Amino acid sequence: MMRAFPRFLSLALIGLAPATVFASGPVQITITRSGCEPSEVAVAAGKPTFEITNKSNRALEWEILHGVMIVAERENILPGFTQRLSARLDAGDYAMTCGLLSNPRGVIRVVAEPGAVAGPVDPMDLVGPVAEYKLFVQDEAGAYVARVADFVAAVKAGDVAGAKALYSPARAPFERIEPIAELFSDLDQSMDSREDDWEHGVKDPGFTGFHRIEYALWVDESTEGMGPVADRLLADARDLADRIKGLAVPPSVMIAGAGALIEEVAATKITGEEDRYSHTDLADFEANVVGARKIVDLIAPLVETRDPALLAGVEANFQAVEAVLARYRKADGSFEGYDMLTRQDRLAMQGPITALAEDLARVPGILGLEV
Amino acid sequence: MTASGPSRRAVLLGLGSAGGALAGMGRAARGEPAALGPASIDWRGPHQAGITTPQPAAGLVVAFDLLAPDRAGLEALFRTLTERIAHLTGGSAVPQAEDPRLPPPDSGLMGAGVDADALTITVAVGASLFEDARYGLAAARPARLMQMERFSNDAIDADQAHGDLLIQFCANTDLSVIYALRAIVKATGHLMVPRWQLAGFLRSGGPGTPRNLFGFKDGTANPDPRDAALMDALVWTPPGAPGEPDWTAGGSYQVVRIIRQFVERWDRTPLGEQERIFGRHRLSGAPLGGQREFDTPDFTHPAMPGDAHIRLANPRTPGTDGNRILRRGYNYARGVTRSGQLDMGLLFICFQADLDQGFRTVQARLDGEPLDEYVKPTGGGYFFALPGVTGAGRFLGDGMLGLA
Repeated sequence: MMRAFPRFLSLALIGLAPATVFASGPVQITITRSGCEPSEVAVAAGKPTFEITNKSNRALEWEILHGVMIVAERENILPGFTQRLSARLDAGDYAMTCGLLSNPRGVIRVVAEPGAVAGPVDPMDLVGPVAEYKLFVQDEAGAYVARVADFVAAVKAGDVAGAKALYSPARAPFERIEPIAELFSDLDQSMDSREDDWEHGVKDPGFTGFHRIEYALWVDESTEGMGPVADRLLADARDLADRIKGLAVPPSVMIAGAGALIEEVAATKITGEEDRYSHTDLADFEANVVGARKIVDLIAPLVETRDPALLAGVEANFQAVEAVLARYRKADGSFEGYDMLTRQDRLAMQGPITALAEDLARVPGILGLEV
Repeated sequence: MTASGPSRRAVLLGLGSAGGALAGMGRAARGEPAALGPASIDWRGPHQAGITTPQPAAGLVVAFDLLAPDRAGLEALFRTLTERIAHLTGGSAVPQAEDPRLPPPDSGLMGAGVDADALTITVAVGASLFEDARYGLAAARPARLMQMERFSNDAIDADQAHGDLLIQFCANTDLSVIYALRAIVKATGHLMVPRWQLAGFLRSGGPGTPRNLFGFKDGTANPDPRDAALMDALVWTPPGAPGEPDWTAGGSYQVVRIIRQFVERWDRTPLGEQERIFGRHRLSGAPLGGQREFDTPDFTHPAMPGDAHIRLANPRTPGTDGNRILRRGYNYARGVTRSGQLDMGLLFICFQADLDQGFRTVQARLDGEPLDEYVKPTGGGYFFALPGVTGAGRFLGDGMLGLA
């Protein structure tokens, strides 16, 4: 997965902070026909003010960007005019636009002041991450419906081998957005409950969804009688995607979701009980980790300014888990069966997973959010 | 809480100064009560607490698998354990949450302050720790430490046996034991993971040797843990023991056995047969052929069977004196088997200076005894309880890690 923010770069910058000279007043930036002067500035985290002078021959808009996100902008600065812009910036590297689109972007290095403790997150700072997360969730929900449709078609066609191959890929988008999917507990139960959620186990009429079909495919080696279960699964998947469209994702749910995904792994994935008939647990496992990672990446700059050590630990533990997962990834991107995992590898993941669970549980509070 | 007058907790437990006492097995019966009030038991010293210190009513053993990726992680674990043990057994204020938006630092089971509650936390290591390439400790392995072998009556469940590390918690109350476990899991969850656990109980208070779940006094002949010279001879691995790494001095081999007792069948067994199996009278605890509990058994008496449990366990011959072990077990009860019988028995725990001279020799003599028909060992393991912590800056296991 691509990293959204160069967090280690900015961590390194904190170490350089004493050597960096900050302007005491507004940061002066002049835009000429060919770009920004200076093309790189360093400012202290907080709410720096920029003074932008347009010395080019056309009106321009000036933007501060973090990755693809626009953090702040000032529009329509006419030639010869100067305008001011104040923006709340946490530590990290930002880009600034410099007039013509063809001009190279400048760099704004925002450095945490040594010893400075960041307070609660400005709710406005969460708007971007939450919006981006909502897009991610919607994309995953869309992929989920499409893949479930393929899986259901195979089940209904009686194609056991085909359905087996489609089982894990269909689950993955769901597992990546589980904190959101679980908001709709009725759908979660009908799509993803396991036999031990039901008093009468496999024979319980309440036992439907993925794991009921998994049981049919791997234990019975048959799709007999699965038609209605498959139809219900697809209807539920569509229902989920529809409900997500209308959902306003609360920031606290999103941010606590990273911890929730890892708790899910710690409680049930690490045992191999989730996909006990197919042993495809590693795919679910990875999807949970990817889902958690997505959330952490989106809020990383906010965490970094408040607790860089916590973020570095989270990063290291994600990498430890991903390294073990990578050992079991096959050439086609699918995973070896969970029964192939050595006890040592299971234990190698348990430590980082537990550490992640402990650390991620602190993240909402560190950002000043009530969960 | 002050030393004078019974504390609230002590009164609740019937353990106040006037309320009788619970003692280590075999001690109260000699009229030597050792009151276990809410007092703190010092965790420091040449030996760990929880071995020869008085045995309180609640016990729990938890075996762990290590997650620490390397030797440094292992050191961090032992340092953290030491710090937690010092804190928990000391009886002190509980850290309170400063920011309600963050997870609280403590489980809250004890409210505002930890009552020491006679809590002891005893750390032991298993053979697998020394076989683990991550830690490079092969040369530090205690000479007799091995994975528990199978005896003829055993049906060991791998999920209830062995482990890299064993922690024994003992306290007056179950809640104190669970509080300590929770605090340690919270602090070390990234370095080790529980593998199995079993909680046990003793009768709390009242005079006399505690009884096991077969109704017999258990521990009558136990060596007196207050006899320091005897403990040096039987329990503590001595300095310079042949073949032993230096760091083991002051530690002790710890054996844990989960021994299910078929209590329904036992209760259907004639009393005379029960007594012949143990070699003692059930009510008085007196050896067969004797009158009182602490009479020395006469193994030549015609009433005493040759294969009685107490005779095989401790033949009381000069040649077997050195095989004596310090037992410190608990009873357990944990549910119902598939056949609808009660799953209960003995959480057997014993300590000895030398595993071969101690438990392994005793168990070899007991192997095939008539009692086997009524019991089934299903778990446990061999461990080595680390030496104690004797100075500032020292920590549990520092000698083993070459850092003493």
